[in-house]
Amino acid sequence: MNFRQFAIKNVRGNWHQYVAYFLSSVFSVMIFFIYAAFIFHPDVINGHIYMGKGVRTGMMFCEYIIVIFSFFFILYSMSAFLKSRKKEFGLLSLFGMTRGQMRKMVLYESIATSVLAIGAGIALGALFLKLFLMALSEILDLADPIRFLIPGKALLLTAAGFFVLFLIITLFTLFQVGRSQIIDLLKASKKPKSPPLASIWLVLLSVLCLGVGYYMAYTMTLMNAIVYMLPVVGLVVVGTFFLFTQASIIVFRWLQRRKGIYYKQTNLMTIAQLVFKMKDNARILFTVSVMSAVILTASGTFYVFFLASKEQQMDMLPQSISFYEKGLNTHEVIDPDKVRSILKEDKVELNYEVKLVGAEAKLPASGRSAKTTSALIVSEDDYNKYGQELHRGRPILEVDPGHAVYIIPYKEVTSPLTEIGKPLPVKVEGNSSDLTITVDKQVSGGAIAYPRGTATELLVLDNAQYEELIQAVPDDMKTVVYGFEMKNWTAQGDTAAKIEKLVPEDKQNQFDNRVSLYLATKQSMGLTLFIGLFISVLFFIASGSMIYFKLFTELDEDREQFRSLNRIGMTLGEIRRTVTMQIAIIFFVPCVVGIVHTMFAMKALGNLLSTSAMQYSLVVVGIYIVMQSLYFFAARRSYLNRIIQSFTR
Amino acid sequence: MSVLKAQGLTKVYGSKGKMLYRALNDIHLDIQKGEFVGVMGPSGSGKTTLLNILATIDKPTSGKVEIDGIDPTVLNEKKLALFRRRELGFIFQDFNLLDTLSIKENIILPLVLDKTNIKEIEKRVQQSAELLGISAILDKRTYEVSGGQKQRAAIARAMIHQPAILLADELTGNLDSKAAKDVMDSLRDLNEQMGATIMMVTHDPFAASYCKRIVFIKDGSFFSEIRRGTNRQAFFQQILDSLSVLGGNFDELSTVRN
Repeated sequence: MNFRQFAIKNVRGNWHQYVAYFLSSVFSVMIFFIYAAFIFHPDVINGHIYMGKGVRTGMMFCEYIIVIFSFFFILYSMSAFLKSRKKEFGLLSLFGMTRGQMRKMVLYESIATSVLAIGAGIALGALFLKLFLMALSEILDLADPIRFLIPGKALLLTAAGFFVLFLIITLFTLFQVGRSQIIDLLKASKKPKSPPLASIWLVLLSVLCLGVGYYMAYTMTLMNAIVYMLPVVGLVVVGTFFLFTQASIIVFRWLQRRKGIYYKQTNLMTIAQLVFKMKDNARILFTVSVMSAVILTASGTFYVFFLASKEQQMDMLPQSISFYEKGLNTHEVIDPDKVRSILKEDKVELNYEVKLVGAEAKLPASGRSAKTTSALIVSEDDYNKYGQELHRGRPILEVDPGHAVYIIPYKEVTSPLTEIGKPLPVKVEGNSSDLTITVDKQVSGGAIAYPRGTATELLVLDNAQYEELIQAVPDDMKTVVYGFEMKNWTAQGDTAAKIEKLVPEDKQNQFDNRVSLYLATKQSMGLTLFIGLFISVLFFIASGSMIYFKLFTELDEDREQFRSLNRIGMTLGEIRRTVTMQIAIIFFVPCVVGIVHTMFAMKALGNLLSTSAMQYSLVVVGIYIVMQSLYFFAARRSYLNRIIQSFTR
Repeated sequence: MSVLKAQGLTKVYGSKGKMLYRALNDIHLDIQKGEFVGVMGPSGSGKTTLLNILATIDKPTSGKVEIDGIDPTVLNEKKLALFRRRELGFIFQDFNLLDTLSIKENIILPLVLDKTNIKEIEKRVQQSAELLGISAILDKRTYEVSGGQKQRAAIARAMIHQPAILLADELTGNLDSKAAKDVMDSLRDLNEQMGATIMMVTHDPFAASYCKRIVFIKDGSFFSEIRRGTNRQAFFQQILDSLSVLGGNFDELSTVRN
């Protein structure tokens, strides 16, 4: 056995500690390589691929994130390894290994693991590249899938880049090797850990920071977002740090004083061990919590943006095919009969149809620079009828003669755009006699049909008054809003496009087709999600591997403890229970804290977008919980196996 | 009344076709309630194997063990663990106290695992701590106290649930002579005042001199047995004589102390 073989044997011997770290490294190499393969794909560079340039930029951005993230992750993992092997180093130097030799050994070891990780990462990347390109082609709706080929540049960049990264970090960590006294190294694992202390003031600080941070997030609006954003993040991070390092200990101490809970079977072991390890675990738990909050918030934000844009499209285009025309029978945009015949031809059924006839009115504006504002006068009956079609829960408007309700399509505008509760002079186009009308209230986000041009804002009048008024307006001065809501509209892209083709070029701004708009956003969001997904998974795997590693560095110590506990009569079932409880706490507490943070972030996002982001993000949170549970079960299984194995000798 | 009864215990290591090693050969042992029995023998004589079998963490190849009328070999894993927890008390050479727990928590562990109510726990821990002279260190951590104190805490843990028998394995092996004397005095008090039944495996003639009866084994088989009179000093000499007859490897034999 020469020196090099010795180093490699070390890696093999410590394999169960290395495995989670190794897999995370392999995964980052793999993702990096797959993105690089796309970035350097000749078809993408030559611009043969639709949207290729944009995707390429997005992926380059991701590559930077991966590199920065990998740097810190590998740095952390490497130094944690070296720390966990103090005793081994002590023994080696006791036998006379020089510091130089030890460094050489660590260097060999890390070269071996990094070459292996890079090799495995690239191999797996090449394996999944085809699948990735196929998925991407599908999302981009490309007629010909992107060719499968492995660009040499991508190969070189990944291999060389990561090798240099690993090497730099190894050189960094080498400084740690061989600096301590042998005796300290040998005793490192036996050194009694003093029980952690906590200050009640820091706990209060933690609660205060979290409380204020949450409150600010909860009340965040478009106006104060810029000012609030950074303080919220800062407060929550500080609060989380003290939550784990201080508050956790206070909580456990309290539990220890409650003998009724503490002296109850395995609770004694579980709580005592958790308190004891808290000092070491707190930082990891903190880091993992913040990381999960970041992953969840980022993925949640993407997802919410996607759903919010759909919701916004639904608000702004209540019917999937919408247009408005000037004049009752001009059909300057498209003849509604033609629309119907195309729908029939394609066997597309309608949920309902809208024909909203109204007259343009001018009335004094308030709260904006323009003196007057224009709105379409519609009848109470029409408004309520179509409003109910759109959404059954919508309140029914009741308007008295001489009064009106002012409808604006924007949800986020709550200040009145015209004066409320005061008789206003209203001029109706095509009708010489002026009206005096009192606007009772304004409804924000109340559009029932294509809110565009003259029909952007509506003035809902009493039925009789509306009839009288509209009779007096000549037919070609009337404005008509048409809407066709197709059944299963998201799947009717072809029909919608067929109809849109018939609209003359200069009238395009009076016509809208929600289907194509939706499909375009869906595509770009799908793309973002697809690319971002890998980054999220990377973060997730890495944060899990930090916990996993922590767990396994303590394995030997725990194994001894449980072995003697088994001797004095702790059953395997009880050992399983206390181990499961402990592992569950270190896996799920950061998960829960991360989720709570995310919920508040989502509340803030919801305030900004005026949607219920919190509910939408539950999907992302749900997926995260499932994945974390899988990780937990895997870790628990392998940990318990290793503990119980030792009993049977 | 017999607390522990071992009949024809034999333990053979090694699988078929390979070299067989007979660690124990036809050992008979009968321990009555309130007895304090020592088992001595040179290294490799099978002492630890015997103890492990009696402790139910190893099974004999043949022969029968009965503790308090129960044959532990017929119990499943869970029942066996519960049996150890309720009927046996263990004292180890390296204490086996948990660093994560305070001295008191270490002592009460068997009771806590067995869902004893809190008042009862508190009462018993005070009693045994007083008896063993460790009341003052109950709230300390394991690394804040001396070896002798640790071993006395371990004794307290072994007896707090009032087991049928206490099994001790080289309990003075890691202690200096002063601490060893303190620990053995405590063990004697336990035996004489509380009537605890104790079986102890040891190398140390000094520790053995506290026993009322000593069984010597050699190469896995019964060798001889001596009983103590009233004088411990004389008994100590008797032990030394027996050991020299026994011969074998006693290089770990500690210096004579008093």
